[in-house]
Amino acid sequence: MRGTAFAAGGQGPFGNPATGAPGTDASVSAPAVIELRGITRIYSTGRLEVAALRGVDLDVWQGDFLAIVGPSGSGKSTMMNIIGCLDRPTAGSYRLGGTPVEQLSDDDLARVRGRAIGFVFQSFNLLPRTSALENVATPLLYQGVSRKERHARAQAALERLGLGERVHHEPSELSGGQQQRVAIARALVTEPALILADEPTGNLDSQAGADVIALLHELNASGTTIVLITHDSDVAVQALRQVHVRDGLLVQ
Amino acid sequence: MTALELIRLAISRLGTSRLRAVLTMLGVIIGVGSIVALVAVAQGATSGITDRIQGLGTNLLTVSPGATRNGFTRLALGSATTLTTEDAQAIAAASGVAAVAPELSTQKLVIAGIQNTTTSIIGTTPAYLEVRTYTMWQGSFFNQAALDGSLRVAVLGSTTADNLGLDGSSIGQTIQIGGIPFHLVGIMQPKGSSGITSQDDQVLIPISTAQHYFVGGDKVRSISVSVASASQIDATQGELTALLEQRHGTNGTNDDFTITSQAQLLSTFSSITGLLTVLLGGIASISLVVGGIGIMNIMLVSVRERTREIGIRKAIGARSSDILFQFLVEALVLSLLGGVIGIVVGLAASLLIGQIAGWGFIFNPLTVVVAVGFSLVVGVVFGVWPARAAARLDPIASLRYE
Repeated sequence: MRGTAFAAGGQGPFGNPATGAPGTDASVSAPAVIELRGITRIYSTGRLEVAALRGVDLDVWQGDFLAIVGPSGSGKSTMMNIIGCLDRPTAGSYRLGGTPVEQLSDDDLARVRGRAIGFVFQSFNLLPRTSALENVATPLLYQGVSRKERHARAQAALERLGLGERVHHEPSELSGGQQQRVAIARALVTEPALILADEPTGNLDSQAGADVIALLHELNASGTTIVLITHDSDVAVQALRQVHVRDGLLVQ
Repeated sequence: MTALELIRLAISRLGTSRLRAVLTMLGVIIGVGSIVALVAVAQGATSGITDRIQGLGTNLLTVSPGATRNGFTRLALGSATTLTTEDAQAIAAASGVAAVAPELSTQKLVIAGIQNTTTSIIGTTPAYLEVRTYTMWQGSFFNQAALDGSLRVAVLGSTTADNLGLDGSSIGQTIQIGGIPFHLVGIMQPKGSSGITSQDDQVLIPISTAQHYFVGGDKVRSISVSVASASQIDATQGELTALLEQRHGTNGTNDDFTITSQAQLLSTFSSITGLLTVLLGGIASISLVVGGIGIMNIMLVSVRERTREIGIRKAIGARSSDILFQFLVEALVLSLLGGVIGIVVGLAASLLIGQIAGWGFIFNPLTVVVAVGFSLVVGVVFGVWPARAAARLDPIASLRYE
């Protein structure tokens, strides 16, 4: 099943050697974390129907570092929402780590978001007036992890990102780059199959942005699968491979 | 998430805006506080009144003359003329009656040395002490011999004795009542107010003496009857009614007397205090409802302000029910904390009022349980709507909410 799906969807969008995509051999041997097949998303506002995605096929493998690139309005945000299990496709099938997502209940989707996906947002989206440690520990709260273990794991994640000295600072006491590192620690703490980064450098100066990209590379090198969504081709080229979205379709 | 985690989370979120949390709780504090205080005050007042009515005597029935009827020509002294000392003697012979004290009263000037006072002079029998549950402080009550011989002996209430500057050393002294010399034989222990008149400002003399010197005739103002046991009160009341109807030749439609029991007096008072409690409690409950609406209002504002937080929480794995419970528990913590503070405030207020009014502090654990229950209900009722609103937010829109 996975093999045929790969054969059907894999060749088109990923066959571009210029983007530095993993070779075919590597692709076959590694399991696909994400399998999108014919994903369509239509927004209905009254009589008007807008197709944000019109049949997208995409595979992302374990250990991949993929950039989804496109201008605003291209449908890349919709793709992120669907990949991140925040939204459901109107048609098509989505398997995340082999699980067909469209059959899951809302509560199951929440569980998938909590356990399998780590989000990194453009605007950091940390909980205000809450310490870095509590921010990082919060995803574990919803998994029923004990308070002691939550704090230990959050502490470890923050230390890994060089924020060991800042665990008790609130977001307003941290710089943008530090806030984004806290957000990455929060994404990492659940040991997700996938980190989904939506314009992670968009609100940062170039130095802090470069640090974040370097950090993502570091995580990728240690085995974390990363999907980066951006409109900025300078950022996109730093990923291992890129796909471009235009008018709801993946293009070369 | 466990209940403990939810409560910890709620407290930490409320801790980020303490002033707002306190102001939000104020409505519940006032509501619960006034309910607790008013109920305690009403209970204190009821028990105070009950004590005083019971202090009038043990298992007491009071026979009073009824309304003056048309056709009577003798209307002097109002209607206080239909009961006689013979009636009292007949009642004393009835079954179930422990003691009978007929009473006759008049106002006279009392002089002791250079002090004087005008007070009630009550003519009665030695049974008065038992029927009205007085105890002696100095000397003794006058005896049957004094009654039989219409002797000029007097027993003073404690207030009257104070007013006249008399104490234990004065027993045996002569005092003037209405210009006639009397021998002081005893002073009674103070008993307190009956709520209507002082029971300690009076002079007791044998009823035969009162009739002889002051009133004339054999009429009495009222007859106090002590029933042998509480269970016999109703039966004895019926028996005495029949007895007096027979003696007076009346038949229930034209009775010239009334028999009232303590129980009737008590139930009259308790129905009044009960009504007052419900009325005051009702008014206080309105403020509790207003407090609840305050919580709902703030929680709705809070959901709107924290839309982004809700979106973040959903993105990192919170289910709708997690969000629902988070906001519901915040509302509950606000209302419960407000309720607990309200109980403390209410108890302090009722302690103060009890001290001032003189019936002490009555602590009823049931009030606390009911007040806490009320605050819980307020928290749930007014917390559910905002919590549902929060839980239903769409994560994508919430994440983009500015």
